[in-house]
Amino acid sequence: MADDKRGSLTGLTEHEAKEFHGMFVTSFIAFTVIAIIAHFLVWQWRPWL
Amino acid sequence: MWRIWLLFDPRRALIALFTFLFVLALLIHFILLSTDRFNWLQGPVAAQAVTSEVLSALPERVG
Repeated sequence: MADDKRGSLTGLTEHEAKEFHGMFVTSFIAFTVIAIIAHFLVWQWRPWL
Repeated sequence: MWRIWLLFDPRRALIALFTFLFVLALLIHFILLSTDRFNWLQGPVAAQAVTSEVLSALPERVG
């Protein structure tokens, strides 16, 4: 148990950190894709440059 | 990169991130609504309509 939390300020184990990171990256990619689609649609509507 | 979650508490990081994104989105939307070109509710016609109303009302008051 001490080995699991060694160097961890948040108390997360390495496995938990990796698991959360996977969800975080997936959500970030989904958010970015939606944002790109939204910007594309707005650019079609009225380009700003 | 996953080691960042050993430094920053995921719960606090998510709350901070969502709060920041929400405020940023609100700010950008209101800025866009305040412009003439990117106001998607009233559009650029609104400014001209107000101007024409004022202009048409002026002669009546003067005359």
